[in-house]
Amino acid sequence: MAEYTLKLRRYNPESGEAPFWEEFQIELEPHRSVLEGILKVKAEIDGSVGIRCSCRAAICGSCGVRINGRAGLACHTHLGHAADSGVHADGRTITVEPMGNMPILKDLIVDMDAVHWKKIQRVTPWLINKEPVPEREYIVPHENMVDVTQTMACIQCGACVSDCLSMEVDPLFVGPAASARAYRFVGDPRDAEQYERVKDLAEDRHGIYDCTHCFNCIEACPKGVAPMSQIMRLRRVAGADHGIVDRNNGHRHEQAFVTLVKEGGLLHEAELLPRSYGGDSWFGKFHPAAGQELLSSLPVITTALLRGKVTPKGVLAPHKLPKDALAAVQAITEKVERRRPRNELNLYITGYDDSPGAGDGDVHPLAADGDAMTSAPGPNPHRPTSASESESA
Amino acid sequence: MKVAYWPGCVSRGFTPELHGSMAAVAPLLDIELVELDRANCCGAGVIAEHNQELADTLNARTFALAQQVQGADLMMNICSTCQGAQGECQERLDANADYRAQINETLQETEGLTYEQGLTNKNFLWLLVEEIGLEKLKAMVKRPLTNLRVGPFYGCYIVRPTDRLGIDAEHPRDQYLHWVIEALGGTVIDYAGVYKCCGFPVITMNKDVSLKQAGTHLADATDAEADCLVVPCPLCHLNLDLQQPLAAKKVNRELAMPVLHLPQLVGLALGLEPKQLGMNKHVVKPTSVIDWTTSVVGAPVAA
Amino acid sequence: MPAHDVLIIGAGLAGQRAALAAADAGASVAILSKVHPVRSHSVAAAGGINAALNPGDSWESHAYDTVKGSDYLGDQDAIEIMCREAPDEILHLEHIGVTFHRSDTGHLGTRAFGGASAARTYYVADITGQAILHVLYEQLMKHHETVDRYEEWFTTTLLQDDDGHCIGAVARNIRDGRLEVFDAKSVILASGGAGQVFKPTTNALICTGDGIAQAYRIGAPLMDMEMIQYHPTTLAENGFLITEGARGEGAHLYNALGERFMEKYAPNKLELASRDVVSRAEQTEINEGRGFPDGTIALDITRVPRKRTLEALREIVNIGRDFAGVDITREPIHIRPGMHYIMGGVRTDVDGQTPIPGLYAAGEVACVSVHGGNRLGANSLLDTLIFGRRSGEHAAHRARGVAMPKTSSRRLADVAAEIDEIIRRENTGGRRISEIKDELGETMNRYVAVYRDAEGLARAHEIVRRLKAEAPTAAIDDKGTVFNQDVLGAIELGYMLDVAEAIVVAAQERKESRGAQFRTDFPERNDAEWLHHITISRNGDGVPEKGTAPVRFTQWEPQERTY
Repeated sequence: MAEYTLKLRRYNPESGEAPFWEEFQIELEPHRSVLEGILKVKAEIDGSVGIRCSCRAAICGSCGVRINGRAGLACHTHLGHAADSGVHADGRTITVEPMGNMPILKDLIVDMDAVHWKKIQRVTPWLINKEPVPEREYIVPHENMVDVTQTMACIQCGACVSDCLSMEVDPLFVGPAASARAYRFVGDPRDAEQYERVKDLAEDRHGIYDCTHCFNCIEACPKGVAPMSQIMRLRRVAGADHGIVDRNNGHRHEQAFVTLVKEGGLLHEAELLPRSYGGDSWFGKFHPAAGQELLSSLPVITTALLRGKVTPKGVLAPHKLPKDALAAVQAITEKVERRRPRNELNLYITGYDDSPGAGDGDVHPLAADGDAMTSAPGPNPHRPTSASESESA
Repeated sequence: MKVAYWPGCVSRGFTPELHGSMAAVAPLLDIELVELDRANCCGAGVIAEHNQELADTLNARTFALAQQVQGADLMMNICSTCQGAQGECQERLDANADYRAQINETLQETEGLTYEQGLTNKNFLWLLVEEIGLEKLKAMVKRPLTNLRVGPFYGCYIVRPTDRLGIDAEHPRDQYLHWVIEALGGTVIDYAGVYKCCGFPVITMNKDVSLKQAGTHLADATDAEADCLVVPCPLCHLNLDLQQPLAAKKVNRELAMPVLHLPQLVGLALGLEPKQLGMNKHVVKPTSVIDWTTSVVGAPVAA
Repeated sequence: MPAHDVLIIGAGLAGQRAALAAADAGASVAILSKVHPVRSHSVAAAGGINAALNPGDSWESHAYDTVKGSDYLGDQDAIEIMCREAPDEILHLEHIGVTFHRSDTGHLGTRAFGGASAARTYYVADITGQAILHVLYEQLMKHHETVDRYEEWFTTTLLQDDDGHCIGAVARNIRDGRLEVFDAKSVILASGGAGQVFKPTTNALICTGDGIAQAYRIGAPLMDMEMIQYHPTTLAENGFLITEGARGEGAHLYNALGERFMEKYAPNKLELASRDVVSRAEQTEINEGRGFPDGTIALDITRVPRKRTLEALREIVNIGRDFAGVDITREPIHIRPGMHYIMGGVRTDVDGQTPIPGLYAAGEVACVSVHGGNRLGANSLLDTLIFGRRSGEHAAHRARGVAMPKTSSRRLADVAAEIDEIIRRENTGGRRISEIKDELGETMNRYVAVYRDAEGLARAHEIVRRLKAEAPTAAIDDKGTVFNQDVLGAIELGYMLDVAEAIVVAAQERKESRGAQFRTDFPERNDAEWLHHITISRNGDGVPEKGTAPVRFTQWEPQERTY
């Protein structure tokens, strides 16, 4: 048994009072969940504490809250872990507040309909059957069904929506959960409208190109849905598969980036911006859209020049790789880009090799000679080795 | 220690002061930088968004080049985005032998390179804490950042996702910036933006959203009375410093929040002069950090 | 005041399937649930759904397995219907988007399941219930113009007219406390089971037997209530479910001596015998001292190839890691039998009709009875969908010939007064709701579990009667209207106590061992005297009234049951 202070955000819309923090002292084993802690408070101290909950096992998606400022399921967070994590951890206090980006109804309960479900509804969340519908089942590859199961695994808890940093500044952003939902159909070979779906989300000012790539949704998701990764896949399907050149410059930006790296081996930012607006070539910057953008950025550029941050030489003759290295980058790019279908490894489907080195019989002569740069097999093969052996030094 | 050093693209483009300050600080910390001058852009997640295998192959190339550096302890980068984007590729490469073999086949064909599973690649921030150690760092401080109120701004790629980045109870890497600021004698300022996104990745797609994010965090730090921010990521620096005048307009605030690269903050505390660290190159002049008449931060340089 | 041809209470698989079927048949439909539909407990069904769809399989084989699994207490006409209609239902689900996993050829894939003579369980990893539930909800969103959804509305009372016909319900909007009468020509109860009557249970906190008690209170008979399924593999720590799919994929059970003890109890089917058989075997091992010190058995999933486990049993990988600290791909996980499902419920015919005109029931709330003494794994999802659909269709047809009823507002005032009474209750030092609920759950799990006897059951009944007397004095803390979960908890406690008493009384009545009911004082199955259903009806406030109903046979004579 350990003692914890549950610091709960309380709000009663009927009281006319502002939200406030209330602390409850409980005793439970550290491996019990935050939800069990709250249920103990409800059962023994104050039955008026409001929280949605049902299954207790991270499958119904009811108990999304923010614990120590981060969204997650109360039933899926151990008390001990919560009390020990975060910059302000004191081993005892756990703050629990309602999820973000959604209106609060009471205590820890938010209005999911107003935000989350509205956005889900926006992505036409049902299968549009490919015709003709077969008499028996659609014959589709097993891998596709496992693949869309990743997004099917979403339990609609709203944790990703809560912590979406784009939505925080742009409430209209379609957001992580709805995007993942969209992929569930885009990746489903039985759906007839893959193109229409990605076109719609690519052209939307608040669609898939509104994601800032902050990883908060991946971090918040208790089910490994990795919404941001699904957004990136939607972008790949939109841009690479359907060649959709969206009005948000999303595809142009991506194209320009790839081309610039191919041309120089390194990113040349001075060219990236104008090409993203104007089009993927050296002439891109002369496109009216690019001109307009440059004009609006003029004061910034001037300051950068004045400070010596950016030099005219740097802009016009950027740092490039040695010729042979550049040739290698170009050869790689050409080879990989030719491959159809794209070679895409989804660790959700393949999992991780049993142990580092499994199936990796011989060591290549050109690999590093010592093993200083090659970590020993760690106890947890799920973890990239860059992370697992730092303290030994 | 000797490291295979990947400076990234932006530190040699729009934020040359980052590259310069790292070069200036490294000898003081006894780090030998072997620059990977043949390595390529990490793709910043954008190449992966276009073609995952391409990003994985290009980064495997960088890793393979790093593994060729004789006697290096590990690979080091100075850009959160590189850390995150490369880490994502490395996760796939390390997880699946068949996939790795395919990628290596491409590397073989083009340059005869091979990536061997299990590279250690650390951002300068991690290296400071885990390899050099805070105690040692503290001992090196010549000009403690006394009374300097520093807001840590981690950026996204170096704190999320925690699993891939190896952040856990033993390696609370999402607190290292806090620790380093303290070790250098500064005061950590808590504000809403510590772990938020600078907005840079959508600057070309949705400038409004992008600048609003930068502006909001800068304003929050201002309200928390920070003297400056410190970032381990040059892309964050672009949105927070280079774009600060526009971001300020977007959130209707007067903002003058200096934003320092991590090596600059370390360099100042280790006694280097602001100019040596390229601090004159910032858009927002770091006047609140530095008294330009004496070139002194906080306290005088100890003898 | 909302008025619909068909009102459906509960929005799990049975309710949603009923709603879609009724709307499809042209009825105006309302579906009402105390939680958002995707929170319904169907979401937790993991392993899959049975159907004889493969060329080599037959519905007769599926039906026979089900009859045998039920220990011959299941009604064979209903079982035949369920098994015959199963393949089309699977294909329907596939067509509306359920992401069933495939075989190497791209056809629907199957896995083995307990008590089945063929691999006929269709699945989506181990989130089959969730996948189907969410896809049905997609269809509800698609058909939002024909199905009105009332999400987070708590039903308090079923309404009857003077002739005893069910004509709607009173429900409270959880968000603002507003009470509303829902008029309906037909009402379908689809509000799930009553697992919370036991502690621990695999069931969600919302499974409080609401519909069973509501129907019981207006005179509908309950049937097979003594038949409580203990699932063989629930997590020792907290009772969470470890899917039968694990054993279906090849996992073994071991006792503390390292013996694969199922060889003794079910030499042919081993771990894949019926759930009652496996649970009893485990409990015997534990009772006879061959369990682990914490009263558990080891489930060894490491035998299943790791890639397959990660792909097809992901959810229990997560549960093991997050709730037991065990990597199931690398070490055995400790489990024990735990309360999982109630075979009994509101008695219905094969169209979901209860003896009360206008009132239907489908899913776990109902007892058709297709499960009899023991439900086979992966037959519950099938039950919800087949009889949900049939109820929806039948209720829609029935509504065509009935005028829209009108309930007087006095009924609303009555319900309001009852709720007010709970909220205004003074705290006079009585017990808290949670204490009563805990004592109930622990009592049931102690005396009405895998093994039962007359003495224990009598003790249980005595305690339940006492708790029934205590409940009306339990005061609550929340005096508000917005999300007053406290007052709902008090109402649910009343439901649970009614259901508990019915279970205990039925278990006392059946003086034999059949299916999930094992009486140590009557250890044999006794077809001569007990091959019939036991019904339980309300009898004022006194002890429930017991009755019987015949088991309907078609082609399978009772035989000795071995696996």
